[in-house]
Amino acid sequence: MKMAKLETKGIVKYFKHESHQLKALGGVDLKVEDGDFVCLVGPSGCGKSTFLRIVAGLETPDEGDILFDGKPLTTTGPERIMVFQEGALFPWLKVKDNVEFGLKMAGIPKDERAQISKRYLDMMQLTKFANSFTYQLSTGMRQRVAIARALVMDPDVLLMDEPFAALDAQTRDLLLIEMQLIWEKTKKTILFVTHNVAEAAVLGTKVAVFSNRPSKIKKLLPNDFKRPRVAEDENLLGFQQEILAELRPEVKKAK
Amino acid sequence: MKKNIFAKKIGFYIILVIAWQAISMSDVWPNNIFPSPYEVAEDLVYTAADGSLFYGIGTSILRLAVGLAIAITGGVVLGIFMARVETVNQTIGSLVLGLQSIPSIAWVPLAILWFGLTDSGIIFVTAIGAIFAVTINTYTGVKNIDPHYIEAARNMGAKGSQLITNVLIPAAFPYMISGFKQGWAFAWRGVIGAELLFSFLGLGFLLNIGRQLNDVSQVIAIMLVIMMIGIAVDGFIFKKLEDKVMSRWGLR
Repeated sequence: MKMAKLETKGIVKYFKHESHQLKALGGVDLKVEDGDFVCLVGPSGCGKSTFLRIVAGLETPDEGDILFDGKPLTTTGPERIMVFQEGALFPWLKVKDNVEFGLKMAGIPKDERAQISKRYLDMMQLTKFANSFTYQLSTGMRQRVAIARALVMDPDVLLMDEPFAALDAQTRDLLLIEMQLIWEKTKKTILFVTHNVAEAAVLGTKVAVFSNRPSKIKKLLPNDFKRPRVAEDENLLGFQQEILAELRPEVKKAK
Repeated sequence: MKKNIFAKKIGFYIILVIAWQAISMSDVWPNNIFPSPYEVAEDLVYTAADGSLFYGIGTSILRLAVGLAIAITGGVVLGIFMARVETVNQTIGSLVLGLQSIPSIAWVPLAILWFGLTDSGIIFVTAIGAIFAVTINTYTGVKNIDPHYIEAARNMGAKGSQLITNVLIPAAFPYMISGFKQGWAFAWRGVIGAELLFSFLGLGFLLNIGRQLNDVSQVIAIMLVIMMIGIAVDGFIFKKLEDKVMSRWGLR
């Protein structure tokens, strides 16, 4: 059997809750193969975003290991790039400079940076906005910039934390299609946290359902429907029901 | 709208000058105590004509610029350290708060003892009067940075000094500008105050000369100049910078 691209073993994380410790993650085991598009769903507060942050190396687990190509990881690094819910774009930089940020940090010369960023600005249809500042963009446009900024780093794994949660329905539908195209084009391994079951059904090659706290991965559901998929596709509704059947009892427990 | 406000302002100042002229003509106080606006303007023209006014302005502004540059550099560095290193905040941070409560003019005796009656002494008073305002605002600014900015930058490989120059400073800039603005106001008061006591060159020196010569019009003329420079720096430099930064950072 080939080695997993990314593997987490028994990830445990406690939250401080007033005076006592709350066990949020109760041993999360997940294997992600190269090129997988894994959507993480779960009841709110189950710690799925925290899990993603741990994989990104932005938080340290209290127990457990993360293996990347079989090697343990402890810090953050550009092979696992995070796309934040609100984009976390830098308002003091133009769109183009936001996209080139990681390349600049890596010491890549200006001309080369411009060449690379141009490719991804084109891919995300941002060329017109290259010299805009982020306050001039809509939320949807900002998320495109955030995705372009992540792709420029050419990471092995893309970590996305509810990136479409703040978007209106139409913009979200467009980005759901584009996200599938990007994944097919770039062959990236993607971990995508969402609370939206339809979104998970459209995007994922696998959907990981988190249980209620202390959470583990309750079920890993494969999803082989042909692409491009749209949320209204009737054939996908059955799969959405499958996810919901796993999710509903956990949401009830959370209440 | 804007025109309307401008008209109101002009009207107010015209009335103010007329009232001033009226009081000075009413002979409530003798003219050498309460000069007319005309006499003040005349004095202003004389000091401008013989060059002493511009020399005074130039000297004061140069001292201010050097002192403020020192204060901004030092204050930004200190503020970032306080925000990022808890021990620095717990130790030096408490001292900074204490030192900030000392009026800059209270540093003058120490400046004279350390530097003598020199330019360095005046610059010292200017810088020390401004540095803590810059420090505290920079500290607050860095503390208030959206943690996602720092996480995203670290995630994309920013480390150490890269993180400071590419993220911490620009992200904290809206606060830092408030610090620079306060710092400039303290520095301007510090320069004039120190010049009054050190008494060589500069606008504070011209004020003092006016007092020694019993020349009330000169004193008032110089005070007007000090005020107008203050309005100009606030309005043309800081206001513009602040507006630009606030809109770009999406805070307005």
